[in-house]
Amino acid sequence: MSEVIATLKKDYIYNLMVKEKRQDGRGFKDFRDIKLETNIITKAEGSAKITLGDTQILVGVKLQIGTPFPDSPDEGVIITNLELNPIASPDFEPGPPKEEAIEMARVVDRGIRESGAIDLKKLCVAVGESVWTVFIDVHVLNDEGNIIDASCFAAIAALMTTIVPNKQQGIGENVSLAMREIPLGVTLAKIGSKLMVDPSLDEEAICETKLTIVSSSDGSVAGMQKMGSVPLTEAEVLEAIDLAREKATELRELYLEGLLRKG
Amino acid sequence: MSCMSDKTGKLITDDGLRLDGRRADEIRPMKIEIGVLSRADGSCYLEWGRNKVLVGVFGPREAHPRRMQRADAAVIRYKYNMASFSVEDRARPGPSRRSIEISKVSREAFEPVIMAELFPKTAIDIFVEVLQADAGTRTAAINASSIALADAGIPMKGLITSCAFGKVDGQIVLDLNKEEDNYGEADFPVAMTQDGEITLLQMDGHLTSEEIKKGLELVRNGCKEILEIQQAVLRKKFQTPIEEPAKETSMEEISDIENKVLEAEVSMKYASEATVVEEIREEIKVFEEDAPKKIAEEGTVAEEIHECEKLEHKIEEAKPLVEEETLEEVIKAEIGEKADLKASLEIDPKITEFEELELIKEEACSSDAKKMKFESGGFAEEEIPLYEKSITEKVISEKTSESKNELEFKDKSRKKVIAEEAVKVEEKSEKENSKGPWLVVKDPSESGSKGDKDE
Repeated sequence: MSEVIATLKKDYIYNLMVKEKRQDGRGFKDFRDIKLETNIITKAEGSAKITLGDTQILVGVKLQIGTPFPDSPDEGVIITNLELNPIASPDFEPGPPKEEAIEMARVVDRGIRESGAIDLKKLCVAVGESVWTVFIDVHVLNDEGNIIDASCFAAIAALMTTIVPNKQQGIGENVSLAMREIPLGVTLAKIGSKLMVDPSLDEEAICETKLTIVSSSDGSVAGMQKMGSVPLTEAEVLEAIDLAREKATELRELYLEGLLRKG
Repeated sequence: MSCMSDKTGKLITDDGLRLDGRRADEIRPMKIEIGVLSRADGSCYLEWGRNKVLVGVFGPREAHPRRMQRADAAVIRYKYNMASFSVEDRARPGPSRRSIEISKVSREAFEPVIMAELFPKTAIDIFVEVLQADAGTRTAAINASSIALADAGIPMKGLITSCAFGKVDGQIVLDLNKEEDNYGEADFPVAMTQDGEITLLQMDGHLTSEEIKKGLELVRNGCKEILEIQQAVLRKKFQTPIEEPAKETSMEEISDIENKVLEAEVSMKYASEATVVEEIREEIKVFEEDAPKKIAEEGTVAEEIHECEKLEHKIEEAKPLVEEETLEEVIKAEIGEKADLKASLEIDPKITEFEELELIKEEACSSDAKKMKFESGGFAEEEIPLYEKSITEKVISEKTSESKNELEFKDKSRKKVIAEEAVKVEEKSEKENSKGPWLVVKDPSESGSKGDKDE
């Protein structure tokens, strides 16, 4: 993410932007090609691998019995973790997650949690004593930009294919994880005065600010996060919200609603 | 915050008030103190509702480890930390994932305004300690950091102001408190520059784009209000009278002191005349009392003018005599063998005699004029004290100088009077002595008595 980018390249991307063009020939509102695979890790209760352009992300969902939080004794728990493995980029170093990874994990988590995507009440085993804890682990395999959207996408896809292993615990039949919503994150990069969806690695490196908007299928917004150090105007924020909702609806219909029917 | 949790009752009453009595568009009361930490370069303590936040700013200082340094600018480090006792259930000390995220977005909120490019290879550290948390700690911390940065003298393009809006009972409200945050439907913290550009934006919950639009409007007004508080606090601390006001007061003081010195000198100089002044003051008092009466019987004024004129006539008559006498002396001196210095010495007393005569004349004249003035000035009784003052001044000068124009003398400085006297005396002696070796007398320093008379 923090790849040092030559000034020449910067100028090149910027000049393209002025001409309403992008490095890879996309329009400002176009996502790169998406390839989604689910259930590829059989050891996990749910899994999904997304290839967004050349960005590859694998999400595995594990369920374990745990204790509920005292303020929600009848609800399951969601724990989201995101790791920028050194395998994904020469810029990533081994070690505990840096702030960037933590931020992205929390944005993914927030989208799922706040949109009410998982019916947490159905994950309660014994009120106040034991509930299912859903671990969402995001593994970045190759970073070619826009990890956050890919992570949101893969995480929800993995959850939609997750089976709750009740049998293993001797508490009934295995069931699909109860899903109520499909939140999707769409990130817009601000380059110059333009907003463009799904920034590539180079675009991410030179962009001034990114704004991620997680929206639900009813068009409401479940989470937002501004990343980067250049301010946005109110008009830009509102424009970004509309654009993100539009793109999320598109992607949801294209890739995810089919999964739900399947599940 | 969890939008799915059950509410414990209404958060907004039927008359539109919130649990803490605020309206939807009101922020909680805010209290700010600047410079509370002596070791920090800048600091700020801020209370916002039940939030208590302490911020210390250090730097620009050498960045450690060195690999953190940037060759072209200062690195900005923002560390948000919650005290373990700041929340209901003890928080685990040390950085949490939440605090790391908040630190990052808060740092980014400041990066557009801090002029880091002025301090390459240095670090600007902002340390935030949340002492008590009651929803909105990140916004409170940003507001406090803005002040602490200003206190540290870090160049900034403007202040950063932060405020959250949220959705409670289906309503968009400004600046959520703990209950509203826990049981509300959305939380939307925003930080912005003075121009309203958004430098921090986060959101969780459930909002439509219309609600976001409405909320952003609320936040804009909330931030404006907070900005005013911040500016007022900074002005109070830093708007000390270092510019024009300081100079003005010092100038006033100097002139005050000068006046006092002058007054003191005058009073010392004319201590012997004090009794006379007192007498005149008494006279003035009587006049003050009599003024209305005398105005009634205008005749007296005319009478006194007459008397004055008579006196003047007499003096005029006396003048040639005196002058003749001195002239005789001069002729004598001219004829005599001991010309210059002796003559001057002889002339001197004569002149003084003459001057004394004149003084008498003037005294009479001026006291009459005084009366006249009172008659005319007495029409407005409140003007009397003014006259009293000017007359007292006059009398003092009359007593001590030979100037014929005493009645006109008002604000002239003492020095000037002395100079005038000297010149006049010179003129007199020139006239009286005509031309000759006595011209030497013209030099007041040599004449001895003239120039130094008043000293």
